[in-house]
Parts: sequence; C-alpha cells; structure tokens
Amino acid sequence: MISRPISEGFRGVARHWAMSISSIIAVTTTLIIISLFLIFSYHMQLFTKSVESSMQIYAGVDYDYEDDEDRIRAEIEALDEVKTVKYYTKDEEYEFFLSQYDDEQTREVFSPYKEDNPLHDAFYVEAKDGKQIQDLSKKIGNIEGIYMTNYGGQSTVNMVSAMSKIRRFGGFLVIFLGLLAIFLIQNTIKLTIYARQDEIAIMRNVGATNSFIRAPFVMEGIITGTLGALVPIALTIYGYYYVYEKTGGVLISNMFRLVRPNPFVLYLAGILLAIGVLVGLIGSFMSVTRYLRWKR
Amino acid sequence: MIECSHVYKRYKNGTNALYDLNFSVDQGEFVYIIGPTGSGKSTLIKLLDAEETPTKGDVRVVGLDVGNLKNRQVPIYRRNIGVVFQDYRLLPTKTVFENVAYALEVINMNKKQIRKRVNEVLEVVSLNEKGNSFPHELSGGQQQRVAIARAIANRPKVLIADEPTGNLDPSKSDEIMKLLQKINTEYGTTILMVTHDLTIVNRHRKRTVVLQRGHIIADLPEGGYVQHDQ
Ligand SMILES: Nc1ncnc2c1ncn2[C@@H]1O[C@H](COP(=O)(O)OP(=O)(O)OP(=O)(O)O)[C@@H](O)[C@H]1O
Ligand SMILES: [Mg+2]
Repeated sequence: MISRPISEGFRGVARHWAMSISSIIAVTTTLIIISLFLIFSYHMQLFTKSVESSMQIYAGVDYDYEDDEDRIRAEIEALDEVKTVKYYTKDEEYEFFLSQYDDEQTREVFSPYKEDNPLHDAFYVEAKDGKQIQDLSKKIGNIEGIYMTNYGGQSTVNMVSAMSKIRRFGGFLVIFLGLLAIFLIQNTIKLTIYARQDEIAIMRNVGATNSFIRAPFVMEGIITGTLGALVPIALTIYGYYYVYEKTGGVLISNMFRLVRPNPFVLYLAGILLAIGVLVGLIGSFMSVTRYLRWKR
Repeated sequence: MIECSHVYKRYKNGTNALYDLNFSVDQGEFVYIIGPTGSGKSTLIKLLDAEETPTKGDVRVVGLDVGNLKNRQVPIYRRNIGVVFQDYRLLPTKTVFENVAYALEVINMNKKQIRKRVNEVLEVVSLNEKGNSFPHELSGGQQQRVAIARAIANRPKVLIADEPTGNLDPSKSDEIMKLLQKINTEYGTTILMVTHDLTIVNRHRKRTVVLQRGHIIADLPEGGYVQHDQ
C-alpha cells in the first residue's frame, strides 16, 4: 500500500511534535537565508550584465580614412573579443548629438557646425565580456585609420570586475549555504531519528523490513521539509512584493532595477520548496539508512 | 521446532556466553530456560531471534538455519516466531491497537483483517478495552500482555519469552502464566520461556533446561527444579 507511509508520516510528525518543530525551524531559518542570497545574487548578476552591456568602445575614424569604412569594419570584426559593431557617419553623429538637446537656443548655437562638421565617422563596438574592453580598445586603436578610441574608462572596468567578483562570491555563498542547510537539517533529523532508534529497533524485532521502516520516516522528512519551507516562501513572496511596491522597482539608479515580481517570486518559491523537500528526503533517508545498516 | 547443536557464542569483547549447547524442542512443547544471572539465557534468546549469530554450531528454528541468515532475511524470518521481551519493547508513540497491528502491517495483511485479528488477540489477553491507550498509560502487567498479544498476532509456530513475569508481582505473574499455557494448549504454539522465578517453575511444572556459566547443566523433562547451593 502506498498510502501507508504517507498517513504514517503525518502521524509521526504530529506525535513527535517537539522534534518536528525543531527540524522545521532548522529548515525555515536556512531557507530564509538562502532566499535572501538567491534574490541578492540574481540581481547582482542582472546588474553586472546591464553595466557590461552599456559599455561600448567609441572608435573615431581619421578624416583621411573616411572612405575605408569597409576595410576598418572588417578588421574590427576580425578581432576575437568583438560582439557587435555599429557604424555611424559623422552626419548621423551630428544629428544624434543635436537630438540630445531640447531647446532651440542650443541647437541654434551648434547649427554652424552642420556644414563644417568637427565630428568623426565612428564605429561603436561592444565586447563579448566587459573585462576585455580595455584590451579591445587598445587593439582597435592600433588599426590604421582609427584616430582615437574611448570607453567608459578605468573606473567602469574596475566596477565591472568588482561586480563579477561579488557575483562569483555570491554564487559561491549560495552553494555554501545550501550545503550548510543540508548539513544542519540532516543533523537535526539525525538527532530526532537517533532519539527514536529504540523505535526502529523494535520495528525490526517485530519483523519489519528496512524499506518498510524507512518509508514513513522519509515521508516525515518530506513533510518536515515542506512545512519548513512554508514560512520562507510566504516571507519571500510578501516581502518581495512589498519592497518592489515601496521602491517602484528602482534601487539607487535606473540601472539597478528590481525584477518584476510576478514570475520571479514564483520561481523562488518553487526553488525553496524543492530545497526543503529534497533536504528533508535526503536527510531522513540517510539518517535512517545509517542506523539500519548495522541492525540485524 | 527448535534445534541447537554444538552452539558456541563468544562476544566480540571476548566474553564466552555459551559453550557447546545441544538441545531441541518439539512442536507444541512448553520449555523453561532457567539459570543464574549471566548464565547466557538472554544470549540464547538473541541467537534464536537472529539478533546475534553463533560463533560455532547450528541454530535451527522452524526448519531455518537462523545463524546464517543474511541481514535482510532476518525480518522475514521473524514473522515466523513471536518474541516477548522482558522490557516489553512497545512502540511508545503508538496505541495498544496500533502496536499489535504493526506486527500484521509488516506482513501486508489488509486493513479489515488486521482490525479483526487485533481485536481477537486483545480479547485473548483481556485488553480489548485498552485499544486506544498508549503504553505509558498501562501497568507493567498490561504492557506485558500487549507484548504477548503482538507476539501471537500472526499465529507464530514458536513463541519465545524472555522473563515475561520479570517485573510483576506473583498474582500478575500467575495471570501471564495462565495466558501462556492457554496459548500453548489452545493454539499448539511451541513456547520457550526464560525465567528467574523458581516459584513459577515449581508451581507450573514443565520441561526445564538449566543453564550455568554458558553450559546446560540439566534438562529435566518433568520439570520441578530444585534449587541447589550456589
Ligand atoms: N552484547 C554483549 N557483549 C559482550 N558481552 C555480553 C553481551 N551480552 C551479554 N554479554 C555477556 O554474556 C554473558 C551472558 O549474558 P546473558 O545476558 O546471556 O545472561 P543472562 O543469563 O540473560 O543473565 P540475566 O539473568 O542477568 O539476564 C554475561 O557474562 C554477559 O556479560
Ligand atoms: Mg537476560
């Protein structure tokens, strides 16, 4: 019968209420921490990506080489680090420059330059990886016909590399916390099962096979893990919606935005539930099995 | 039913608990195992229950070579025998009914049959009103009777009892003895009972095997053990 372990599992949780509570609390606290770090590192990743993608190299073309667009483009595209290349003539550059000013007066001031355009034809180049931008900029600068290159500057590069470090550290921290959670929860479950080793011994005495004994305990672990995930899930959903609504989704600057809560929060809930269930399952399975192995 | 030939037991720490045990018990017999403390009575039970394996020799119960069972065969074997432990070994978080039912759940009996059989055996041990009590709500004698009910629930051919009257006063002990005799005569269950209690042995005379320092020093077919100087 399949229903037996399930009903026995629920009964076990209810009848060992004090022990169940301590396991549930262990699950709850670790899952809350994991949830926070998941949110943090996911946003860190988005933020880094958005900063990286906003970084472009400006490469101005020497006036003497204005007819060499195709050759220069080909040379730029031949570089490994290049992701995209866009080309604007100096007239387009001028229009764009002018479009940034709203008031007629300023436009008036710049109008003489339409005929005698001081701007250059230009390539805008994106790198595949923000960290390569400095190198790439130098290489493009060496191409014949490029008179100068320019990118966000060293400070942007530093920020990107700092963020990718933080991001990597964040990912590492999530993995570490996950392992810690499994360890903590497994330990709690091990203790509760240790406290019930007499029970397990009695079950063996009466002729129960290992799998028959194990099933309700594993079910208990799953139930414990699920119950332990409820509070973190609720906190994550309500907390995230709350923060999102309070801030309007914008933190610090427009560049650092919060993800829209709708699918995001559900994914988080799913991940938390999965971790809770898995940890409960694995923890209880390993604990009972370890105890049963030496039992005749 | 039970057959020990040249059985030795030496524990891992070097203690020799049993030496060259030879005896057999036929179907339907009621046998006492008596002996002073440390003489190896519980060790013998552990061998019969497959909790321990003999260092040397053969232990056979219901035709099975109990000493050479693999770990995973042990539970299946135990469904053939009923064991009553001195410390009852009831599951503390299950009711009386559930405790007895557990022994039937492990053999996959269906719910309806389980209910019927549990009520039957609780009737046998006169505890049908205590079905919903937890073990800690019962007296020692009542817990012992639950343990007996659980042991006989799946109609084992052999019932092994380690000091089933150990913690009980004489009148309660007599109750348990009457119960065991009833099980022995009514169902033809072979019974092996370990005891300290010489009053019982002398009052209800049965075949009596005497252990001392791990040796069988007497096997009295008519029972009535007379205590000698120790
Ligand atoms: N698990 C064990 N490991 C090592 N030695 C043991 C173990 N169990 C029992 N012994 C030893 O084996 C001998 C026989 O013990 P056993 O428990 O069989 O005696 P007993 O006849 O049941 O005594 P009692 O009447 O006190 O219950 C004793 O010397 C005891 O110390
Ligand atoms: Mg003993």
